[in-house]
Amino acid sequence: MRHFHASVVERRITVKDGFAAHPMEAGWASEAIFFLIVEEVQGTDTMLDAVVEISADGITWIPDGTAFAKITAPGNYFVKVSHFGNWLRVSGIVSGAEASLKLSVQLHLKE
Amino acid sequence: MKDYVIALESGLSKYQPLSTLICYDDFDNGLRGWVDLHPNYVGKDFNTLRYSHVDKTQWGPIMLSSASFRFVGTHGSMEGTYSMKLSTRPVANSYTEAPAAGSLSHGIKRLTTHLPKGMRQFEMWYAYTPEQDRQGLSEQAMRAFGVFFDIQDDDHRYFIGARYLNAVDGEMVRKWQVFQAKDVTDLDWAYGVENDWCKHGIDAMWYGKRYPDGTTDGFEWVPDGYQDLCYNESDDKINWSYLRLLIDTKKREYVELQSGSTVFDLRGMKPTLTAPYARIKGLFNPSVWVENDTDRRVFFYVDSVVISGE
Repeated sequence: MRHFHASVVERRITVKDGFAAHPMEAGWASEAIFFLIVEEVQGTDTMLDAVVEISADGITWIPDGTAFAKITAPGNYFVKVSHFGNWLRVSGIVSGAEASLKLSVQLHLKE
Repeated sequence: MKDYVIALESGLSKYQPLSTLICYDDFDNGLRGWVDLHPNYVGKDFNTLRYSHVDKTQWGPIMLSSASFRFVGTHGSMEGTYSMKLSTRPVANSYTEAPAAGSLSHGIKRLTTHLPKGMRQFEMWYAYTPEQDRQGLSEQAMRAFGVFFDIQDDDHRYFIGARYLNAVDGEMVRKWQVFQAKDVTDLDWAYGVENDWCKHGIDAMWYGKRYPDGTTDGFEWVPDGYQDLCYNESDDKINWSYLRLLIDTKKREYVELQSGSTVFDLRGMKPTLTAPYARIKGLFNPSVWVENDTDRRVFFYVDSVVISGE
């Protein structure tokens, strides 16, 4: 039987300028999917640029090269990550006027 | 069935279970049914139904951890590689305020009872450290951790467990307490919120007023409950420690708390009994939680847990 775990890393947070999601340990898994579940988008020309980051120590972070398509509307979005070490997180930058988003981050891990 | 056991897992040899093993959760085998605690999303658009002064939606997530750090590399678990890690978010209020959203992390296993009332026991091997995100030694960044059972029998719901109050606003305390609420109203218990879901005695992890000396309306000090736990000499060195809580669900009473080699006699101390809640008859939820004391993450690692009864 394969191991699987879905974690709600961030639960309905409101992000304005940007965010860095909680650092997650994923060393036991060989496959990961990050979901961004965007429930509300406020402001004018609001856009979220979100990327996956890896880390040697869970403290200092480096972009892994995986990026979400630009997010401008409510919806469910995902990226797949398949080669990583122990640490994974998502970070994002919000642009636009009076811009904010209400979103959740889920990390689904499988081995 | 016990008469027919051919072999027990060797990992159990570091435990002292009662005659019936209810669960043995070695987190090298996954999270074994332990989950994050969150409120009831039963309102409109799957929102919570009631306002609470304590935001319980943001407790930090639990995860499978290899306990890896920047200088030592992977610590692993006591027996294997993975432990269950509780991780707070890097936020905290001062001690006398209600806990900040995300300042705790809480793992729970949702069970119901299948045994006659009697002795029940919670055992675990654990370690803890704050995130090594700044220089120095940071033992005081962890405010408290604890274990408990959330129980509902035919007549009452009650929380019965212990917490180690490590530090209050940066000052070390290092004393054990048990769940036992002061004689306050439901309104006082829930920080003045009318009709809060949590009644007097429920969820003392974050309800009940807190006072500067570490006293709270939700806990009572364990007599002679001061204990120096092993923290080691650097935030990336963790040592696995043993904890055992023995209770009596027939008498609804504490029996013993063992931390390391020290045994505290708790006989005669009682939890606070609350009227039963709807739909949770037979509830028997073992739980563990950690709370931070300042603006940094605190990590609490559980190698394994044994829940047993008679």
